[in-house]
Amino acid sequence: MTTSGANAVRTGSATEHELLAEARLRVDLLGEVTSALTGSLNLRRTVLRLLDLVTPRVADWAMVVLVDEASGLTLHGGADPTFATAIPRALIEGTGVERVLRSGQDELLHVSVELDSTEGLDTMIPHPRLRDEAVGLRPADVLSLALTARGSTIGTLVMIRSAGRGFPEDDVELAGQIASQASIALDSARLYEERGRITSILQSSLRPPDLPTIPGARVSARFRPAAEHLDIGGDFYDVHGSADDWLLVLGDVCGKGVEAAVLTGRARQGIRMAAYFDRRPAAVLKALNSVLCENDSSRFVTVVCARFRPAPDGSHAEVDIAVAGHPAPIVLHADGSVDQVEVAGIASGVVPDVYYTEARIRMEAGDTMLMFTDGVDEARGADGFYGMDKLLGLLPDYAGAGPVALCEAVEQSVVEHLDGRAHDDIALLAVSCEG
Amino acid sequence: MTGALSGGSVEFDRALSAVDGRAAASVVRGLLDDGEDPLAVLVDVIAAGQRTVGERWQRGEWSIAKEHAATAVAVSATEVVARFAERVPITRGRVVVACAEREWHALPALIIGTALRLHGWNTVLLGASTSPARLSQCLHDVGPDATAVSCSVLGALPTTRRFIEASTTAGIPVVVGGSAFGRDSTRALALGATAWAPDAHGAVALLDGLPAVVPRAKPLPRQGVTEQSAMELDHHRLVEVLRGRWTPAAAATPDAPLERKLFSAACGEVLHQALHSVAATLLTGDPRTISETAAWIDRLLTARGADPRLAGELGDALASTLLDFPTAHDLVVRYWADGLVLQGEHTS
Repeated sequence: MTTSGANAVRTGSATEHELLAEARLRVDLLGEVTSALTGSLNLRRTVLRLLDLVTPRVADWAMVVLVDEASGLTLHGGADPTFATAIPRALIEGTGVERVLRSGQDELLHVSVELDSTEGLDTMIPHPRLRDEAVGLRPADVLSLALTARGSTIGTLVMIRSAGRGFPEDDVELAGQIASQASIALDSARLYEERGRITSILQSSLRPPDLPTIPGARVSARFRPAAEHLDIGGDFYDVHGSADDWLLVLGDVCGKGVEAAVLTGRARQGIRMAAYFDRRPAAVLKALNSVLCENDSSRFVTVVCARFRPAPDGSHAEVDIAVAGHPAPIVLHADGSVDQVEVAGIASGVVPDVYYTEARIRMEAGDTMLMFTDGVDEARGADGFYGMDKLLGLLPDYAGAGPVALCEAVEQSVVEHLDGRAHDDIALLAVSCEG
Repeated sequence: MTGALSGGSVEFDRALSAVDGRAAASVVRGLLDDGEDPLAVLVDVIAAGQRTVGERWQRGEWSIAKEHAATAVAVSATEVVARFAERVPITRGRVVVACAEREWHALPALIIGTALRLHGWNTVLLGASTSPARLSQCLHDVGPDATAVSCSVLGALPTTRRFIEASTTAGIPVVVGGSAFGRDSTRALALGATAWAPDAHGAVALLDGLPAVVPRAKPLPRQGVTEQSAMELDHHRLVEVLRGRWTPAAAATPDAPLERKLFSAACGEVLHQALHSVAATLLTGDPRTISETAAWIDRLLTARGADPRLAGELGDALASTLLDFPTAHDLVVRYWADGLVLQGEHTS
């Protein structure tokens, strides 16, 4: 077979053997197109894949034009496949590109080399940089293929072969087959991208928030949702406040996945709003309970809520804690001793008119308080549940190590215990006084 | 290295030893304010400091908890450089930086991500121990120009291979690096990576020359994969069998209570590492993963007061544990002792 890619799919005066080999090459190429183009759901990656497939094997130069949502156009490719630029639709009025987009019909243009005219190229390549590249190739043929998928023409694939190697009929047909495969892949990627944009905007409000810097303290959190690729789930945490008065919240909505995540968003907002009026944890949880009970939702929420008031020099902190059906936080003291705060209360959203009690503790410099969800102790590995004993046994070694190291160690220990098994959402939030 | 940098390194090491996040951050901030090259601060101060943290753990000077705590300090110092890097205008494409499952050392990935950001790349960082599904989702959403995978433990190589499949199936070139790949490109290329980066500087240089689109990684040789996946499925049981065969020998040492505690903490790790090293050879065809792990285990155990014969005995126990896995068994028999011979004399 010849080394020139463009010639590889051409028919000339060939023997039967050569014809057969060429036919096989076409089938291979088409097969490759299909499998390669289904590899990504990302529009840009799919365009790059298409350009990579057609140049140099089918054409010497190629460009993809896509109609975008805002009814402008995006041009991709040329000599540099990663090149991309947006142009307004008005720019293509009356051009060949517009004809192809409107009619869905392919166009093959023979460029007259002798006249040294770029008129033909102007009509198919509506961008100066790309047009200059094309002119530099001294093109013989410009083939503009409609990218039509599921009833809509979503763009065109423009391919060029330079002087002396035009597009014979067979090759136009092959290119058309490639374009029709590519259209469906591009359209799927376009749909995915549109949906993805909507999802990511909605999702961003449900993702765990960035943690603030608290003077005299250090906070850290980890979140590993059950559906790890979704980045959201039914566990949540939040830290808000100012100066020397902060609220640390961690909770768990019954259920997981998207439905649970939506409720975590409401719970987090509800807590922020309640704290605006009364920052005492018992009052915050009472307000959250009332709001959740008034909603029809049959889901309940468990929450631990701590009001953290550090001394500015980090020497100690006053902490008031209330829980709604949630495991109480663990305090790891600087000397390695560990105790769990004694406080209890009913889950939020179950019965109206509930009063919560608070426990008050004093944290000294080097103490760390760890809040966690049941995804930790109920993580099920080959030897059964992870369990509170293992958690309490792990902590003493991390005395004084700070909240970042502590959260990482717990997360690692739990995930290693799971050893690849499915798990519930896992959330950790830790705070320490730090001078 | 400039004088300021080497001075900074000394202060940084002191901050790591004291687990003083504030001091570490202020050393780094000071160097950046004085106009030191931020990439040099990352590589020569932070990464170098972190290396000594690992060595201290390995020599049994620090507990695993202390290593964790010091690493958290190094992470917060790296974040100072990362915030500085945010000011660099984006002049290159997008790159996703990730750690495979079982890779809990997020710091090297953070350093690579920050180094690339300093070079003008738009970086998306996925944290420690990421599943292939999460990476794949991210690749569809972000559509990056490249994927960079950091892998420092042999146990994470199988998922790293899945990362390579996820990335190349989408046509995205993938650069890999980290101590699990050893000192040359053999393992990286065997796993189907587009390129191997020896260090942060290497990664920065490599990323500029990658192809826009790569073909899907070829399937790995079947025999190796079959045994490796069977071993992985059976990992839990194999660890227990190995523990049962080896622990009686291990139990006799050492004498001092502190050393005994460090020793027993290391033993669990050693069993997993030994099995992972064999699986890594099955996947990559590079038997050095076995001999290097034997040498590493030998140093780890003798540093904790163990009998110098113990690593050799682990090799015997490993070989007999893997009798049902013929290739793996042969590999252990052939290569485990190499690491111990190379190691030479002991300091017991």
